[in-house]
Amino acid sequence: MHLSDRDLALLDGAEGAAARAAMAALVQLGEAYDAPDMVDIGYAHVHAGMALYKGDVELIEAVAGQGAKMAVPVSTNIANADMGNWQSTGAPDALGQLQKRAEVAHRLMGSATSFTCTPYWAGHWPTWNMHIASIESGVTVFANSVLGAKSNRDGFFAVYAGMTGRYPRFGLHLDRNRQPTHRVTVTADPLGTADFTALGYVIGTAVGSGIPLIRGLRTRPSLDELDAMGVGMATSGGVAMFILPGVTPPYAEDFDVPGLDGAQVSEADIAGVFDAFCTGVETGFDLVHLGCPHASFEEMKHYAALLDGRQVAPGVELWVTTSRAVKQLAQDAGLLAPMLKAGAKVVSDTCPISCHFACSCSPDPALGVQPPKLRTIVVDSAKQAHYVRDMIQCPTLFTTSELAVETAVSGRFHPRARRNG
Amino acid sequence: MADGIWQARGVVKGRAQGKALVSQTALSFLGDLDIRSGKVVGRSSDLLGTCVAGRVLVLPASRGSAGAWRFLYQLKVHGTHPAALILRDLPDPSVTQGAILAEVPIVVDPEAAFWTDLRDGDMVQVNGDSGCIARC
Repeated sequence: MHLSDRDLALLDGAEGAAARAAMAALVQLGEAYDAPDMVDIGYAHVHAGMALYKGDVELIEAVAGQGAKMAVPVSTNIANADMGNWQSTGAPDALGQLQKRAEVAHRLMGSATSFTCTPYWAGHWPTWNMHIASIESGVTVFANSVLGAKSNRDGFFAVYAGMTGRYPRFGLHLDRNRQPTHRVTVTADPLGTADFTALGYVIGTAVGSGIPLIRGLRTRPSLDELDAMGVGMATSGGVAMFILPGVTPPYAEDFDVPGLDGAQVSEADIAGVFDAFCTGVETGFDLVHLGCPHASFEEMKHYAALLDGRQVAPGVELWVTTSRAVKQLAQDAGLLAPMLKAGAKVVSDTCPISCHFACSCSPDPALGVQPPKLRTIVVDSAKQAHYVRDMIQCPTLFTTSELAVETAVSGRFHPRARRNG
Repeated sequence: MADGIWQARGVVKGRAQGKALVSQTALSFLGDLDIRSGKVVGRSSDLLGTCVAGRVLVLPASRGSAGAWRFLYQLKVHGTHPAALILRDLPDPSVTQGAILAEVPIVVDPEAAFWTDLRDGDMVQVNGDSGCIARC
C-alpha cells in the first residue's frame, strides 16, 4: 500500500500517540482490502460512545485522553440517552450521566456534538466527490446516493478517519464500484416518509448489499423521502448506495442499464411491509413514535401542524425524536409549543431503539438499567419497526406519520390504507 | 506444507491459540451472539447454544452488518471473545474493524488441505501476521 509522506510521518508519531495508533489501524484495514493508497477525506460522522455498552464511552474517552484532535469536520452519531433531559424518557440517572461523559470527550477532540443519525439535517452536508467516513449506514447511503459524496459502511474507524483526515481507498471510494448491480422498477406511487421507508425496505431485501438502479418513480421524491428510502434499504439489506437517475450525481435522468438483474416493487409489496410490522395490540399500546431517522426541520413543521390544537389520548405516550440542532431550530420557529401542548415529548440525542428500552445491549450492571416491559410501539418507519422487533423485542404497529398522530390522539390504531398502483 | 501446518492470508495481525470451533454456516456478530455469555443464539447457525469464548472460530463467512464491530468489541470487554477467526471469505469491513479493536487475529482463505484435515476441537495456533495456522 502506497503511503504519503504525511501518512508515514503520522505512523512515526509526528502528530502524537493517538494519530499514530489511528494511522496504524487504517493501514491494517487498507492492507486487508488491498487498498492501493489512502484518500483525503473531507468529513467524518463518528461513533458517539454508547452508555448501554460496557466500556464503550470509556473507549471514546481513551482516544480523547491520548490527545486526539479531529483533522476534518466531524459530527457524532445517535447515543443511548437524551443528554439534556434523560429523565423524560425514564432513563436511570447513572446511564444519563455516563452518556454525558461522551459529550465532554468529543468536544475535547473538536467534534460537533450533534448526536444524531441525520447529521445532514443538522448542517453536515458533504458534497459531490468528497470522500467521507461514516459509522451510520443511513448517512452512508444518503451521502453516496443523494449528495454524491463517497462513503463505505464503516464502524469505529470513522473516528480514526476523522483524526487523520485519511481513509484507505477501497469499496465505494473507487469509482469502478459505484455502478448499479440491480435494476429495480417501482410501479407503486409511494407518498410520505413512511411509504418510502417501506419501499426502501423492499428494495434492500431484494438486492442485499448490491447497488440498485431505481426506475419508475413518477415524481421526484422530497429530501425527506429520499432519506427515508435510503435508511429502509440500509436496514433490510446491506445497501450503501442507490442510483436514482436525475437525483444521484452524476447519473442523468436518462441513465439506464437494461441488462441487470431485475426486481419490481408494487403497492402490494409496500403494503406487505406495513402488514408484516403490524404485530401489536390495537388499543393499549405504550408508545407512539415519530422521527426515525431523526426528524428534519421540515418534518418538525409537519408534526407541529398535525398536532396543533390536538391532545394525545390519556395513557398514551407520543415521542418525537430529532437532533438537538433541529430541536433548537424548531423551538426558535415556535414548532415545539404546539407539540408539547398536545402532550408530545420531544426527545433528542436518542430514540426508542437506541435508548434503555433495548434489551440486546450489555450495560455495566452498576448502571441499574432495566428495560421496561412494553406491549406495543406504534411507528412510522420501517427502520424503527425492524429494530423494535430485534432490539426491544416488542411488537409494533406500522402506519403513516399522519395516521400515527391520529392513533396517538384517539388511542386507537389507524392502519395505513392501500394506495393505487 | 508439513502436516498440521496450513497457509492462509493474514488480515488482522496478532497471534492466538485455542481449540478450533468449526461451523458450516455464516455467522453475524450482530445478533447471533449473546455478549455476556459468548454463546451463539442465532437460530440460523449450526453452533446454536455453543460458547465461542477462547475458541478459534472457523467459519465459511461472516454475515455483513454495519454494527458487527461493536459486538465483537463488546465480546472482548466481557471476556467472551473468540481467540481468533479463520474465514473462507474476506469479512465485511465492520468485522475487520472490530477484530483490530478487540485484538482478535483473523486469517482468511486457508489452503484446501485445511478444510479436509482440521478437526473440531483441535488445538491450533493462528498467526495473523504471517497467515500461518498450525496444529499443536
